[in-house]
Amino acid sequence: MITRRHLLLGGGVGLLALTGCGPQQAVDLVLGVEAPAPAVNTAATLDLPAHILRRLTFGEHPDDRAALLALAKTPDIAAEAWVVRQLHPETIDDSVCERLIRRREALAEPLGELYEFKERVLLHELTAATLLRAVYSKRQLHEQLCHFWNDHFNVDMSKGECAWVTVAYDRDVIRPHALGRFSDLLRAVALSPAMLWYLDGRVNRVVNKDAKPNENYARELLELHTLGVDGGYSQQDVMEVARCLSGWTVRDQHQWRKGLVEFHRDAHDDGAKTVLGQTIAAGGGERDLDQVLRIVATHPSTARHVARKLCTRFIADNPPTAAIDHVAQAFTVSSGDLALTMRALITSDAFRDPAGFVAKLKRPFHYVASCLRATAAQSNAGNEVIDYLGRLGHLPFQFPTPDGQPENAEAWTGTLLWRWRFAGAFAQGNLAGTRVDGDALVQRFGSRTATAAHLFARQPTTKESDALTSAGANALAIALGSPAFQRC
Amino acid sequence: MNDRTLVLVFLRGGADGLSLIAPVGEDAYHRARPTLAVKPGTGHRLDERFELHPLLKPLGRWFDEGKLSVIPACGSDDDTRSHFYAQDLMDHGGHNVSGGWLGRFLRQTQGSGGLGVLEAVTLGSAVSESLRGAPTAIAFTSLDDLGGADDHALMDACSALTIGDPLLGIPALSALTASGRLDALRRAPDHPAHGAEYPTSTQHGDTAADFGARLRLTARLIQAGVGLKVACVDLDGWDSHFVQDTVIAPRLTALGHGLSAFATDLGKDLDRVSVVVISEFGRRVAENTSLGTDHGRGGACLILGGGTTGGMQGKWPGLTTDFLEGPGDVAVANDYREVLWPVLKRHGANDRTALFPDNVVSNAS
Repeated sequence: MITRRHLLLGGGVGLLALTGCGPQQAVDLVLGVEAPAPAVNTAATLDLPAHILRRLTFGEHPDDRAALLALAKTPDIAAEAWVVRQLHPETIDDSVCERLIRRREALAEPLGELYEFKERVLLHELTAATLLRAVYSKRQLHEQLCHFWNDHFNVDMSKGECAWVTVAYDRDVIRPHALGRFSDLLRAVALSPAMLWYLDGRVNRVVNKDAKPNENYARELLELHTLGVDGGYSQQDVMEVARCLSGWTVRDQHQWRKGLVEFHRDAHDDGAKTVLGQTIAAGGGERDLDQVLRIVATHPSTARHVARKLCTRFIADNPPTAAIDHVAQAFTVSSGDLALTMRALITSDAFRDPAGFVAKLKRPFHYVASCLRATAAQSNAGNEVIDYLGRLGHLPFQFPTPDGQPENAEAWTGTLLWRWRFAGAFAQGNLAGTRVDGDALVQRFGSRTATAAHLFARQPTTKESDALTSAGANALAIALGSPAFQRC
Repeated sequence: MNDRTLVLVFLRGGADGLSLIAPVGEDAYHRARPTLAVKPGTGHRLDERFELHPLLKPLGRWFDEGKLSVIPACGSDDDTRSHFYAQDLMDHGGHNVSGGWLGRFLRQTQGSGGLGVLEAVTLGSAVSESLRGAPTAIAFTSLDDLGGADDHALMDACSALTIGDPLLGIPALSALTASGRLDALRRAPDHPAHGAEYPTSTQHGDTAADFGARLRLTARLIQAGVGLKVACVDLDGWDSHFVQDTVIAPRLTALGHGLSAFATDLGKDLDRVSVVVISEFGRRVAENTSLGTDHGRGGACLILGGGTTGGMQGKWPGLTTDFLEGPGDVAVANDYREVLWPVLKRHGANDRTALFPDNVVSNAS
């Protein structure tokens, strides 16, 4: 069960950012009492709660484990309860984080009004909000899924008018559907100004019988968004899908009602088409889009492709086939219900196999967010932190190619020294707008060993203990730089 | 062989071969591309049929001097027309092979005197897929990436915990070792030789300046004799479905000015360097309704330096309908591995089958 006390404890993270006081003080202010020592895993290896809190969040906050364990009598049942709540983010009060985001008023503007802002302002606000949510949102699994889908349906703010409309893309397309139904998400993406700009759908026009449609979106729809490159489509299918989608466009900044998505019948190829063996009759007009999306969303290759990508993100860089099959089946049986699909993933044998715990390397954004979360740091996600994301090669909404940021560990080991530099600058308090109190953290856990056990989600090894003991003032930076903290 | 350097410039996104090496002498070219075709006489003349794109004119000098080979209709056996699949295939050098072809090349030529950690470098944020399987490989974009003003106590402690880690140990050790080796280079003044002028942001745009800076760093590594055998430098963003000229102009500028400055900078050292420029595929012959081109097959390849004989090379399949592939693409008349092999041989490779197992031909060819 969840007590008011636990809710308040959890809320302290966001509160402190609002009030400017330390995390412990914030809690004390609310409760008027000393909070109990937070829980840590006392075993030498991760247990299920530790694995779940590490793999499915942007890092373990000092209060996370105690809050999870309080949900039920045994750790495993408590872990289940935590997952169920996280799969239904609407049941989790996130008002503290939402208040932090609401201060960034540009992010709440209606689509057309976004054009009133400078591009760099929107880029900064969206980047900062993305990091703040990763650090302070209590809907951690939802945040993880938002990142996943922003990679899967990648757009780049440097292309065309994506600079303005991507704020609406993240807010109105990705976030509402991240744990919803895949077909709804796919349709929202297909009809979003950001995707129409990013993959040139807006200029896919067929005005006479000899005109050649723009294939860009059609190809990536099949290859990246749905079936996968080996999913059984041909070049002919790409061209037929491009014909089906011709005529959809979006009004640009020089027009009245900027950002409005509309269908131009005179730019649509209204002849008969065949997509993946299914006939789409002539004269379908704007209905062609829904026919195409239905065919691809329900194709068996799509279930497998999405399942493989989810397993790669949440299980292992090379997930076992059995796990992919299991998740693909849940996707199919539930008609693409993403919460049920994720539940199948999290309950799979592969996800729960201790051999796979801490097998994933945190990608740089995850790493930076987890440094802030794990230490209960206060941050306004200012430029100095964001600059490090750039150095680490992992700025959200700025990846140029439609395959999204890579998921495999090897893609990210080249900037390891920058992770250490970040750990140093962060722990030593050298990042403007970001504060961490290492001593308070140790006080909170009662000892350095317990603090290390929190950061590693297990007891430190002798080698780790020795390194931290001899490190003096650098201990926190070294713990954050160590290979155990690089993984999740 | 131990002082030779191979520089691979991968044009990611599918560079339009018919713009880089424009067949201005073919009527079919102008019919298929009423708005996008390069106008005859505006580029650098290669022969009676071809011209280099006007923005590649700085490379004309190297062609005329016999230092630049130009190969049209070059590509792989990929017919998915997927960027990512085609890039993977070209990075790996075959369908069912282990690691990348440059990784196999480096293993094959191991023992011929490489100096270790700076033997294979990607001037970018991650080690290139083509280097997978190399005895050692490292990625960085600038000397800053490899330290200088670091907190040494922190770096030491982090490395002590990391070295030996199955995933992070080798990257950590490589980065730290390279950092030490590059200290001298970091202190040395950074002046291009022989009056070479690399592209600048103000004059040539950010894309060209960034590409030029990575080429300049490559030249410094070559000039400093750090044992560089392979350098990978990507030039991204060639996917020109929409208003192609706007998309590719900054990249052509980068390629033309950047490579020309690099060759000038190297001076006589260019004789021991080969620069190979490839892309995963070329683009559709006919332009689409949005002044762009869609994914195609055969594209362009350029080879600059001492490892090539210069001039127009390879077969040309022509652009008439009978010779086009699929939806209207330039046929791949010159497999990229056929083109690479003579270069790799000059850089010490001796076993073609081991490099490209599913492109079997005699080692003697």
